[in-house]
Amino acid sequence: MDPMATPTREVFWNIEHTWLVYVLLYPTAIAFVYGLGRRVEGWFMGKPQIRWDRPWLRLKLFLRDGLAQAQVLRERRAGLAHLAFSWGFLVLTLATVAVFLQHDLGIPILSGNFYLYFQSLVVDLFGFAAIIGVVYVLYQRYVVRPPRLTHGVFSDGVLLVGFLVALIQGYVVEGLRIVATQDPWGIWSPVGYATGQLLVALGVRELPLQLALHRFFWWTHLVTAFAGNAYLPYSKAMHLLVAPLSLFFRELEPAGRLRPMEIEGAERLGVKALSDFTWKDLLDLDACTECGRCQEVCPAHAVGKPLNPKTFILDLQRQMAGLAREEVTPAVRPALAPGVQVAAATLAEDAALEIVGHSIDPEVIWSCTTCNACVEVCPVEIEHVAKIIDLRRYQVMEEAAIDETPQQALQGLEDRAHPFRGTQASRADWYQDLPYVKTLAETGPVDYLYWVGCAVALNERTQRTARALARILHAAGIDFAVLGEEEVCTGDPARRMGNEYLFELLARQNIDTLQRSQVTRIITTCPHCYNTLKNEYGALGGLFQVVHHTELIEELLAQGRLPLKGPVDRSPITLHDPCYLGRYNGVYQAPRQLVDALGERVEMERSRARSFCCGAGGGRYFMDDRPGQRVNVERSRQALATGAPTVATACPFCTLMLEDGVRTAAREAGREAPEVKDLAELVAEALDEEALAAGWPPEEAGGRRA
Amino acid sequence: MHVVVCIKQILDPEIPPREFQVDPQTKRAVRGRASLVISPFDLNALEVAVQLKERAGGRVTVVSLGGEETPEALRRALAMGADEAVWIRDGALEATDASGTARCLAAAIAKLDEPDLVLFGRQAGDWDQGLVGPMVAEALGWPLVTNVFQTRGENSPLELLQQAEGGYRVVAATLPAAATITNHEANVARLPKVREIMLANRKPITQWSLGDLGLAADEVAPRVVVEALAVPVPEGHCTFIEGETAQEKAQNLARALRELKVI
Repeated sequence: MDPMATPTREVFWNIEHTWLVYVLLYPTAIAFVYGLGRRVEGWFMGKPQIRWDRPWLRLKLFLRDGLAQAQVLRERRAGLAHLAFSWGFLVLTLATVAVFLQHDLGIPILSGNFYLYFQSLVVDLFGFAAIIGVVYVLYQRYVVRPPRLTHGVFSDGVLLVGFLVALIQGYVVEGLRIVATQDPWGIWSPVGYATGQLLVALGVRELPLQLALHRFFWWTHLVTAFAGNAYLPYSKAMHLLVAPLSLFFRELEPAGRLRPMEIEGAERLGVKALSDFTWKDLLDLDACTECGRCQEVCPAHAVGKPLNPKTFILDLQRQMAGLAREEVTPAVRPALAPGVQVAAATLAEDAALEIVGHSIDPEVIWSCTTCNACVEVCPVEIEHVAKIIDLRRYQVMEEAAIDETPQQALQGLEDRAHPFRGTQASRADWYQDLPYVKTLAETGPVDYLYWVGCAVALNERTQRTARALARILHAAGIDFAVLGEEEVCTGDPARRMGNEYLFELLARQNIDTLQRSQVTRIITTCPHCYNTLKNEYGALGGLFQVVHHTELIEELLAQGRLPLKGPVDRSPITLHDPCYLGRYNGVYQAPRQLVDALGERVEMERSRARSFCCGAGGGRYFMDDRPGQRVNVERSRQALATGAPTVATACPFCTLMLEDGVRTAAREAGREAPEVKDLAELVAEALDEEALAAGWPPEEAGGRRA
Repeated sequence: MHVVVCIKQILDPEIPPREFQVDPQTKRAVRGRASLVISPFDLNALEVAVQLKERAGGRVTVVSLGGEETPEALRRALAMGADEAVWIRDGALEATDASGTARCLAAAIAKLDEPDLVLFGRQAGDWDQGLVGPMVAEALGWPLVTNVFQTRGENSPLELLQQAEGGYRVVAATLPAAATITNHEANVARLPKVREIMLANRKPITQWSLGDLGLAADEVAPRVVVEALAVPVPEGHCTFIEGETAQEKAQNLARALRELKVI
């Protein structure tokens, strides 16, 4: 062959009866399109939702998390393996498209540099990376076998082994062609070239044998690849088509802003059947990669509660795919929406199937603490919590189906604007002997309203947090006041328990009070209040600047406005990140700076975005736990494992839950229970009262700011 | 089946005791910041009525006598499943007592469309007198069964399950009849559905004055004069149990407790 010739290769070299390719292609394509169609049809059952605003931001995030797989890579090794074989798959698909362009459309693309650099070298190397990636994940699934990967053992195996077989067949074909044609550019496909050499070394020396084997592997490679494509929409590999969509159409609102809903005039409140979900919720179900990261981080799952975010999604997916039909139809007939023909086992029928009680157990949706760890960790942006709340909304508002204890909390919110039944405290108790705490009614407009929160004001233990914060604010000369008896619950527990109606009533009342009192800046001690005031009142017309007490104290410390005595006695300190402060609002740094100012900080194994819930969120504080299924005890064990004598929190619910939990955890471990304190308490204890009494900051330092 | 439930709106009994105060002049509890709620046993009565309606069909009418915030209580009852609400509203009722209330309620029930059963809470959560139910039954001349917690059957005679020492008694009541309802796990008040709350907000509430009931102001004048009303001041007494050994102390403690009839 002429060494100066343009590099290329013959398509369909050594292959006869190429018409057979098309004969095989058509059923494959039909199976693929049919499967895909059934999935897409499912999404169209959903209700409308606008998810194409801010397209450039969406595109940017898609490129980051879809193509570059930044979220997949948060788990380093599995992420790299996935990156390798998914990119391998993509590049090999592109190579096939190139063949199609040349052979079927007559575009002469497979020659010259493109042939050498892309079609030979790049494709060859990506294919090899794919082999390594696939082997790694096979090893993970069938040798290491972590609990999160035990679902779909068989179907995963079919996909992965099929992919691996296709890759190996491809290299064998390529190697034999290089050997048989003595391809002068063969070395540009190094893995294929090496495969050819290996086959020769193994005895495949005769040309007729090479040609026969080449033909055999060429056809079997084709059949494997076609079968894979046909199987794709029926398997979890579907995520390679759907995950890009779920990434592009992701939720862009702050995590703490629960989707608003229409109450007056709504045909149905919340989600009863699949068709009540939005199309994005239904698309999410098919985007699931079954990676199990959500299962691994879910606190409810960790303590053995019936919720597993992964199976939650997959159970819904199964219902959507119609597979649940045979299993549930007899039980479910009365639950069908009126007008749906029972005899016609159609998609519409599945859509009408009531979800809770059929494909999802009620206990599953009530186990959720709304800690958002699953959503945070999901590499394809599935919105688990929003779906769970939507299901709760239907259960609570349309069915009034809720256990008696949380029902009493809701009743309390309605009757006395707080969820704490039987509290002996009133909202004004904690500051009765603090002359510097006044109500807005007494002071008139102030720089900051201190929003105390029911969980702080109405509990003797957490009142200490309020007293500590008031002391700190006074010491720093902050002009503040409280609402006193005028404050009512922000509505967070009602909203997270699914009673949107009650949430709105409370929210409107508060917004009215705040606006009437000309409040613009608010300090909160409770991250739940913080989140609701900051992220959720806006939709109802209440826009306020909201700061969490740890943020404000950190700022005051940085400005030198608070003299501290030095490290606290009970150091080191471990910090528990409250979900609604950290994951929901990204406040990780301020509490850490406070801990660092107070002593040595030791982190728990799960902290920051991976923090483990205390168990109180989502209204769980007002629900009963089965013995052995207490999230707070599990979190307390993690806190105890650090050996720190002090556990710092920044949320009254966390304080109450962990103070209770550390006793059990310490007893189990035969150790002394650490002290659980809010950061405000720890800072107030560390205040240098002498320096304050002498006038702080000293005059020469510029004096106290107004 | 037409069931009438008489409900009373009272000061939230769950306010912290410290906040509970009595006006020495009027000898009435001071409202303060307390919310107004439906008296707890009345909620049980409502639940029994709604369960009966769900089982036997028919309708539930809720009747209350009270001040300007009474519609809130009536709306809650409507949201729980009552079909109609009657508010007996008259300035002359401000100072009335159990007998006056009973007269009004009896007149209202007589004016309603042939009730079959009228239910009351066993006693109101504020005064705890338990008088109104029996007085209304007396005024109507209907049989009364007290301390009922559940009903069975769909027609007259209706089976009323009456709480009894260590169990219950089944009373077959020929309708029309009256019953007072006590709390039981079978009649924990349901959480109203939001849709029902919204519908309840649109339902009309019938208002009847004394004149509408054919009563004169002097007929509802209080017959009982409250001489004194005060918040009890809890007093603590401390007794040290003596004893040489732990065992002896325990024995003495047990004896003391037995003398106090605590154990």
